[in-house]
Amino acid sequence: MPKRPRLKEILLRWEVALLVLLALEIVVFGGINPKFLRPRVLFGSVNDFMSICVVSLMVTFVLVTGGMDIQSGAIMGLTSIVVGVVWNDLGVNIWLTCLLGTMVGALCGAISGFFVAYTGVQSMVVTLGGSFLYSGLALAVTKFSATESYKGISGFPKDFTQFAKGRVFDVIPNQLILFLVLIVLAYLLLHRTKYGRRVFLCGINRAAAEYCGINTRQVVMSTYILSGLSASLAGILLTAYLGTAKTDLGKELTLPIITAVVLGGTSNLGGSGGVLGTALAALVVGILRFGLSMAGLNTQYLDIPVGALLVLTVTVRFGLMNPRVSALLRRALGKKTAAERRGSA
Amino acid sequence: MPKSNLLRRFAKSREFTAIAFIVLLFLGVGLYKPNFLSLQNIMLCLNGSVVYTVAALGIALVIICGEIDVSVGATLGMAAAVSATMIRDGQPWALAIAAALGVGVLVGLVNGLGVAVVGIPSIICTLGVNGIVRGLIYVYSNGKWIENLPFAFKALAQGGVGELTYFYLFALVAMALLHLCLRRTRRGRYLAATGDNVGGAVLLGIPVVATKVISFVACSVFAAIGGLLYVSRVGFVTPIAGNGYEMKVIAACVLGGISLSGGVGSMLGAAVGAAIMASISRVLVFLDFPTDYDNTITGILLITVVVADALLQRRAAEQARRLRLNAKTAARMGGGEKGGERLA
Repeated sequence: MPKRPRLKEILLRWEVALLVLLALEIVVFGGINPKFLRPRVLFGSVNDFMSICVVSLMVTFVLVTGGMDIQSGAIMGLTSIVVGVVWNDLGVNIWLTCLLGTMVGALCGAISGFFVAYTGVQSMVVTLGGSFLYSGLALAVTKFSATESYKGISGFPKDFTQFAKGRVFDVIPNQLILFLVLIVLAYLLLHRTKYGRRVFLCGINRAAAEYCGINTRQVVMSTYILSGLSASLAGILLTAYLGTAKTDLGKELTLPIITAVVLGGTSNLGGSGGVLGTALAALVVGILRFGLSMAGLNTQYLDIPVGALLVLTVTVRFGLMNPRVSALLRRALGKKTAAERRGSA
Repeated sequence: MPKSNLLRRFAKSREFTAIAFIVLLFLGVGLYKPNFLSLQNIMLCLNGSVVYTVAALGIALVIICGEIDVSVGATLGMAAAVSATMIRDGQPWALAIAAALGVGVLVGLVNGLGVAVVGIPSIICTLGVNGIVRGLIYVYSNGKWIENLPFAFKALAQGGVGELTYFYLFALVAMALLHLCLRRTRRGRYLAATGDNVGGAVLLGIPVVATKVISFVACSVFAAIGGLLYVSRVGFVTPIAGNGYEMKVIAACVLGGISLSGGVGSMLGAAVGAAIMASISRVLVFLDFPTDYDNTITGILLITVVVADALLQRRAAEQARRLRLNAKTAARMGGGEKGGERLA
């Protein structure tokens, strides 16, 4: 039996590695372009990739149950255009509209979650269907608007856009504070509540969870609702930040979102992972994109480093987990492997 | 035992339930607008689906093997960009085709080694590779369109036997060959065995790692061939060529009854699924709907087919279990049919 602090050490190691990676990025990009280190710029960068941060926090829940969610981008676009059309063409108060938008997102998540949880269809297929369906619906919604869909809907009231663009003390953006609040909430929910334990148990062994009297279907479905909620929140934030409601806002975000979750140490096989890792990884991915584009790299090329980061880190992680590789490493370090120890005992 | 035999056959022909559902749907459209079922229109639908079909055949191999490949679209785009540049610059066509296939082999090897040897979950590995290759297309083409291809190369897409283009004929032949390979050769059977039960396949002495690598390479090579056909059909290549094809092609496979959990499905299913994916927008035109609803219909169709299939299968499994339980209790209690009923 390992002692408690040692276990903690092992758990913390990956998050520490991410922190080091983050610090390294900041130092390197600061070296390339000193402007990058100005607090206004550094903190402000969060505004550019907030949607990745918000969504990946909740997609973590889905992956912990052993599912997969590739529909967030579509839900973001749908929420954005619903908010735009309802505000612009029906003249509803903008904050009421936002509430409606989050309800739409939760509903989308609930529909997909229902099919995943209650029919046993693979989550990847359902959310693939969902991504087609919701992006299609987003286009359909634009039909109700007087504005041409490709133009997007703009001209939102100032306090709505100011909420996403504003800064506390003129330095720290509102969105960063919101992100921190969401991290705390998600952390408490996943790691400190009964509900969170159930989410983990569903991912580790769903049959066992069922025998424990846990309604696994409800738990699994709820994770998709959470992820849909977060996607709609991200859609609203992005709409406010850009000042335009468009159908294809989140189209390109599937890769960064899944990258952030997996890079954060959550396994897509379920049962392991955590919110803190995801939050750090989202920052690592976001800062990488932001720093590289500040260093003068064309934004079209940004998928290369993000993809490479994903493949490399995952290769290292899974390579180390491979018994043959770890045995080689241990032997190189002069330590006995578990099997050898058992053999000698 | 005639009933359980029937059930088993029903479960075995699972991919055909999905196909039958969709064929019925299309017949329904035909009833509403008889023109839809004219030979000319059907041929147009089939010929138009050739890029999807070829890519779907490839990815079906990976899915049957129990993995997934979401880098198909990027591979297709990269192969298209590389071959189009060479053909535009007057290189021999054979060289351009070889280069495209080379792109396919290379991407497939990276995917296959990453998944099978290193042990990265396939969706993560291919998602990363997708990003890398997609970015490399921009680097390679400098973000510009590749245009002004020689007319002779574009004319290839038009040639054919009767209503059938050579390209679709090629897809049909490839489908038939792959089908034979999967059903009749030992290495082909390895694929489904690996997808159905990896642990069991290892215990049987099946080279699981090699099988997976080969399936990934084959998938990317077919995506590259799809890229070549794309160049000839479309006539120009943009940096976003093939964007989103991976999702469409996976959806095509699912519509064709191929299970994403591996081991189940046929090449015919993949081809039919691809034809459906490509003709949804035509269906909408015939039903006087704007084609903007393309994605909506695709999503609804996909979820309906998959959910219906899952429910049917669960019912079949439950019936089989009930049958077994009845037989067991009947044997134990000496014909006590009631006990069986109650337990079930």
